[in-house]
Amino acid sequence: MKQKESSKEDNILFVGIDLGTSRSSISASNDTREWVESYVGWPRDFISLQVVGKPVLFGAEALKNRLSLDLCRPLEHGVIKEGIEKSEEAVKEIIKYLIDLAKPESGQKIYAVVGVPADTLKVNKLAIRKAVAEFVHSLMVVSEPFAVAYGMNLLNNALVIDIGAGTTDFCIMHGTIPAEEDQKTILNAGDDIDEKLFSYLTEKYPNSRFNKNMVRQFKEQYSFVRETPGDIRVEIPVDGKPVMHDIKNEIRRACENILPAIVETTTEMIARFDPEFQVKIKNNIVLSGGGSLIRGIREYVQDSLKEYGSCSVTCVEDPLFAGSNGALKLAEDMPAKYWEPL
Amino acid sequence: MMPAIAGKREFKVKQAILKGVYEDNLKVVGKCAHPLAKKPSLFRNKILLFVAMSLITLLGYGTSSNLSSSPVKQFALSPANTRTPSPPSSEKTLNPSDYAAFLNGREPLSRVFGLGVRTIMIDPGHGGSDSGTSGKMGTHEKDMVLDIAKRLRERLRKHSYYTVLMTREQDVAVPLNKRVELANAAKADLFVSIHLNYLPSKPINMIETYYFGPSSDPKTLKLAEQENAGSRYGMSDFREIIEKIGETIKLQESKQLATSIQKKLFVNSREQNGNVYDFGIKRAPFVVLLGVDVPAVLAEVSCLSNREEEIELNTESHRENIARYLEAGILDYLSKGDLRYEAKREQ
Ligand SMILES: Nc1ncnc2c1ncn2[C@@H]1O[C@H](COP(=O)(O)OP(=O)(O)OP(=O)(O)O)[C@@H](O)[C@H]1O
Ligand SMILES: [Mg+2]
Ligand SMILES: [Zn+2]
Repeated sequence: MKQKESSKEDNILFVGIDLGTSRSSISASNDTREWVESYVGWPRDFISLQVVGKPVLFGAEALKNRLSLDLCRPLEHGVIKEGIEKSEEAVKEIIKYLIDLAKPESGQKIYAVVGVPADTLKVNKLAIRKAVAEFVHSLMVVSEPFAVAYGMNLLNNALVIDIGAGTTDFCIMHGTIPAEEDQKTILNAGDDIDEKLFSYLTEKYPNSRFNKNMVRQFKEQYSFVRETPGDIRVEIPVDGKPVMHDIKNEIRRACENILPAIVETTTEMIARFDPEFQVKIKNNIVLSGGGSLIRGIREYVQDSLKEYGSCSVTCVEDPLFAGSNGALKLAEDMPAKYWEPL
Repeated sequence: MMPAIAGKREFKVKQAILKGVYEDNLKVVGKCAHPLAKKPSLFRNKILLFVAMSLITLLGYGTSSNLSSSPVKQFALSPANTRTPSPPSSEKTLNPSDYAAFLNGREPLSRVFGLGVRTIMIDPGHGGSDSGTSGKMGTHEKDMVLDIAKRLRERLRKHSYYTVLMTREQDVAVPLNKRVELANAAKADLFVSIHLNYLPSKPINMIETYYFGPSSDPKTLKLAEQENAGSRYGMSDFREIIEKIGETIKLQESKQLATSIQKKLFVNSREQNGNVYDFGIKRAPFVVLLGVDVPAVLAEVSCLSNREEEIELNTESHRENIARYLEAGILDYLSKGDLRYEAKREQ
């Protein structure tokens, strides 16, 4: 509360940014909530520039115009590819774009907390700082699942599992800032589901043309594990004619495919703690990220963990903004003395 | 949420965590002596962005039917160093500062008007493995237009005032993108692309001149597709830009230039051979016309499907004549440019 008042005096805009492999979002103290797909595209040449009409494109628009663009997904595998300046520039463009969306008043100081995938944090903390520094007055970088946990007030005895696109990140909270061993990253996540689904579908329907984008859209629309009522059928052109395809089994298989690794990692991470603490954590597991939207995933994880005693799993309410909201909360709660000018 | 008693403990835990975040970040920065060089403030970036945006708006959407003096000032804005994050590596890649420079590169109105025209870029179509169309006797479009272009160059050079350049001087393939880049890099003030038509269904001779713009005529679109062959762009790519481009100065001037060239070409050709049709000036989505920053036209100066015309084209005198008509068209446009400019000043 105090913090907010003083921010009025100094005219500070606090922003929380979630820099994801597939989507990035911003939450700001002026109540802005915006997001963009983490793709950046620059026109390849003069003609492309005139065709697309802008010097840089983002997200869905960039994908749509990909033939005219030099396309970059900067955090594709969870880390800024070392030495690839283009990825750093792309991160800059995304940050700049998001901050512009937050519409800071002129002269307003921007204090930012940026959440990044846990692995990026380990490898590229400095690179991320460099990319963001240009656009803010002060800055802190944290791991994304930690930001989610803080935002939900899960400060102690809790486990956040953030199922994103490139990675699934785990973070155990026990009353302090999580140490390296409290966090773990695995590659079984959304992109992995897309690849599996793509190969299952091309195997089942060799004459139909699928592409990665299409497959991702099917997943986002129909994802489920275990059972779901009704058929799942989609229309796909075969030799130019639209034909209905049954994809229910393939969707299920692809989605379930990432679960064993998630359950296994969860039990492994919890096992390090003494039994009393284990029970507490197991009753405070939270799923976040786009993957938490898969129908039935909460029940699946909860039931799998029940084998080892009681357990409670919940999903965050707003997986798209859970990371940036948490980062914003960190920014707003941060004592003024910790904000050092860059 | 949390019970009130837990409030105080929670506060402590939070403070510890926030301190942890701070120290953690400090460690990273501490690793490197001066990792964060002082950067221009966001505010300044925003001003530059605003300037760039106004330019884009002005050029993209601004109708310039009233050529008042205010757009002139905007056009003349110096390409201040608007360097913003940019993708390096591939030299082909554009970055935002290129874009700003590219926009600013559009010169003051006087130049666009024809008054200050110094550099003329002539673009003989096709070349190398791309022959363009071919007549029944085996005459190739690429050879004819190259010869006509060279003759036009010699003629224009006699006026000594102009620098005349060509996008190719030999029988080589030059991609359309490259032609555009050449014109823009040379800061050409006018761009004239020379082609020959082919009309399989009718054995007539025809002349037509194009400037960039939307077209709904299927024949024109077919022609554009042929002339655009070799670029990576399809017709659908143009739809959006066509909508945006509106009636910019460049388009208005291109239309004027097309009118002058078409008139001189047709009237004079008819004197030589009455059996020629005036197909007038048209808009078409040709890649080369879109990319060039300055008034640009594409003239289909003759028609290879007409047997008589194919024979004629193989004579030096006919090609010299076509060059002469093109020259007359360009000079007509330039002199009108002067007049139009004078007229504006009188007002
Ligand atoms: N309804 C849905 N069902 C299943 N998957 C979904 C759904 N909606 C989104 N996704 C997937 O969630 C992923 C994006 O989630 P999120 O925005 O949390 O990722 P991210 O933060 O960009 O990635 P990361 O955390 O790996 O950096 C994508 O793979 C997307 O396809
Ligand atoms: Mg994420
Ligand atoms: Zn041609």
